[in-house]
Amino acid sequence: MSPDRPKRRPFPWIRTIMAVGVVGALIVLGGQMLEQERVGGESPVTEAGPRVPNAVFPTETFVGKDVPQPINYSHKLHAGDLGINCLYCHTYARRSMVAGIPPTAKCMGCHTIVSTADEKPEIEKLTVMWESGQSPAWNKVNDMPDFVHFSHERHLQKFLFDNPDMNVEDSREVCAMCHGDMVEVGVAKKMRPLTMGFCNTCHENNDGPADCTRCHK
Amino acid sequence: MTTKIDRRNFLKVLGLGGAGAALAGCDMPSYATMEEGEEQVFSYLAPEEYMVPGIGIWYASTCLQCAAGCGVHGRVREGRALKLEGNPDTAVNKGKLCQMGQAALQTHYNPDRITKPRIGGKEATWPEALAYIKANASGAPVWLTGSIGGHQAVMLDTHLSASGGGKHYAVETVNAQAWQAACADTLGDAHPELHIDKASSVLSFGADFLGTWISPVKFMTDYGEFRGAPRGVLTVVEPAMTLSGANADHWVAARPGSQAAVALGVAHMLATEYAVSTSALPAGAVDAIVAMTPERVSELSGVDAKTLSKIADTLMSNHPSLVIGDGGYETAAAAMTLNLMLGNIGATITPGVELIPADLGVRGGSTKALADFASDAQAGRIGTVFITGTNPVFTAPGGLMMKDALAKIDLKVAVALFEDETTQMCDVVLPLASPLEDWGTHVPPSGAGRGEIHVQQPLMEKLHPDVLGLGDILLGLSQDAGADGLADFDDYYAYLRTAISAMIGTDLETAWQAVLQAGKVQAPAADRVFAANGALTTNVPETNAPTAGQLSLITTARQGLFDGRHANLPWLQEAPDQISKAVWDSWAEIHPATAAGLGLKDGDYVTITSDNGAITTRVFLYKGVHPDAIAVPMGRGHTHYGRYATGIGVNPLSLLDGTADGRTGEFTNTTSVRVQATGDNRHLVRLMDVDRQYGRKLAATISADQHRRNQGGA
Repeated sequence: MSPDRPKRRPFPWIRTIMAVGVVGALIVLGGQMLEQERVGGESPVTEAGPRVPNAVFPTETFVGKDVPQPINYSHKLHAGDLGINCLYCHTYARRSMVAGIPPTAKCMGCHTIVSTADEKPEIEKLTVMWESGQSPAWNKVNDMPDFVHFSHERHLQKFLFDNPDMNVEDSREVCAMCHGDMVEVGVAKKMRPLTMGFCNTCHENNDGPADCTRCHK
Repeated sequence: MTTKIDRRNFLKVLGLGGAGAALAGCDMPSYATMEEGEEQVFSYLAPEEYMVPGIGIWYASTCLQCAAGCGVHGRVREGRALKLEGNPDTAVNKGKLCQMGQAALQTHYNPDRITKPRIGGKEATWPEALAYIKANASGAPVWLTGSIGGHQAVMLDTHLSASGGGKHYAVETVNAQAWQAACADTLGDAHPELHIDKASSVLSFGADFLGTWISPVKFMTDYGEFRGAPRGVLTVVEPAMTLSGANADHWVAARPGSQAAVALGVAHMLATEYAVSTSALPAGAVDAIVAMTPERVSELSGVDAKTLSKIADTLMSNHPSLVIGDGGYETAAAAMTLNLMLGNIGATITPGVELIPADLGVRGGSTKALADFASDAQAGRIGTVFITGTNPVFTAPGGLMMKDALAKIDLKVAVALFEDETTQMCDVVLPLASPLEDWGTHVPPSGAGRGEIHVQQPLMEKLHPDVLGLGDILLGLSQDAGADGLADFDDYYAYLRTAISAMIGTDLETAWQAVLQAGKVQAPAADRVFAANGALTTNVPETNAPTAGQLSLITTARQGLFDGRHANLPWLQEAPDQISKAVWDSWAEIHPATAAGLGLKDGDYVTITSDNGAITTRVFLYKGVHPDAIAVPMGRGHTHYGRYATGIGVNPLSLLDGTADGRTGEFTNTTSVRVQATGDNRHLVRLMDVDRQYGRKLAATISADQHRRNQGGA
């Protein structure tokens, strides 16, 4: 190294790395906050109508994907306009861990008489499957990971059947706690995040159990 | 000059980067596992009222993982069998189920199952396969099966008699033929009922009743009662420790093949020191006992007079006792001699029952049948064979040349769940329904329940549409062969229902449903009566003392992989061995003193060579094996048995000669081998890697001496 060559300032490695780190963290955080904004985590609840008495209603919402289904079943029509109780079709919800999809026999119980295959193309699809002994392959909208044990029966028991101020006729409101108001969407869509944070918040607000093994068994 | 990243700067960078990462990950929901529209869900079409998704329904059926025929309850949810437990209402297993039974689910859901018929390795349809069999059959067909009983056995006989009167070879590598022969000779009843629960002391000569012998789950429940207050005393004499031996109060290592000498030595002690009468014995047996002096016993077996006297003392001070023995007719006969002397007949050994009709009874498999099959095939006496429930190429001793024998048969048809070493040699492979998809009846060989027959019903729809149950295949073949009285039955279910309705005397739907619900039906049965004077032949036994410089190879059976049929079930490969705690590999148990003599240490690979071949595996130094022996558990070493079993471990059965016992024709499971180190050493993977607790008192122990002094134990 010749002595007359100007002494170069050393490259500020530490500052550069720290600056990159800060910028990176800001980008990640900002991105996540935008995401949060997009799914409407902070937005207030705007749904109208009676909520569940003796319970703190969850506020967090989620804008789910449009999930294509083999039959465009409309919750808006059945549960909304026609006022059919959720538990009429999802009859397993009060008896089992899973709410279940109603058996085709139940659909056909009505649709051999009202709105038959001759009138509606979607019902025709259903009728063809029924007659050929095929079950519709529904695409799962609300899917819990396998390590989560969630019981529909237990939650309905607490918020609906054991709730002195609730009538079974209003079961829709209890379902809406985790599923949102399905009558707003028509074909089923995910409307609550159903994350552990979501579950925990509700458990805290409604005195639900907080031990890990209650859900992770 | 450059900036030095010293420790301080490094920590600064790390701290900030880490804080950023932590902030980014903080309290933000992750949707990674929350899928929308990724999975499908199928609804029922028109379900029964009692079907609720998410809620299991239990159906009764029968376990076919070994020949014991335990009753099971299977939990079915959304049309899938999810869990098996013992049926609490059966006399055999009283609600208990062993690990092999639990693993039946993996047999059922196994990805290596055969799903379509195959001709010469190529997929075919059922009509094609059946037409091929018909066109290529030569001579009267024979059946080579595992142990089989109930209505399938009746149907099998029907097929054989309708199609030319071919033979039925029932093969079982892990069996109790020697014991049954001794019982038949002494008592006139090959299947007496054993009452471990009623005994105060049990002495076993190599009969692993807690692991693999006759009906382990039944014996385990009986053993539980036997060990309850007042605590029964268990003594086990065997060359290599089994699960029963590991549970014994007093475990005695005898030279391979010398258990009979020890048993007669104990009889000698009883007669001389305790003046027990030998009047109940046939003359030949008395001579054998007189000749078996403690010196002679010690010479043959390495068991000294003090030990013999201790065993005799235990038997005398804990009455009634039960003496069992297997692994050679002499051993079983000598054990029976002790039972006669001690007055156990009628106390802990009582007559069994004879089913009416008798043809429902279980055809217990033997290794003699395998030898007979091999010699008949070698001699060209078999033209067509149907093989099911057994894998002769794998389990046959190397000396039997099973592959050559099979190759001499014109048409070989396998009715199988899985591809294995035998189906590989077969011309036609028919896909069998799993035990959880099939109908059947099974007669427990232990005789528990006195005529109780277990009903096997499908727990779910067939996973693969083209598989067929054994009963259905037998029925189809019998109908095809023109058997009488079967034309009306559309399927085996119809046949079984008619047969059981006849048995219970009503064909009401409710009665049939009650049978299915209970998982069992009481068949008419007659109590057998013990013959007054049995002809017991008690020879002075020969020991299989190895020639100088060699060791006796013992092929041990374990609850788990059993005779190798369960090697393709990962749960059982993963379940640690009861003795060595090893998983997913073979090993050879060798006494530390013998190992020191050969210069071997734990994990050293050795080549074990007999006249029939050689295997290379690791040694596991263990004091629970006689110094003259090397013990290799059977079950591993498959060359063609699906993704989980192929290439795992070694098969010691291939080293055996197939020398047969004189009275029963059963193979002796020992042979002389040379053991040589290969120079390699690798750690044997064991669940419990060390035998020490390092002072942590995980399981509190006291020394045997202390126990004897303080607790008055044996």
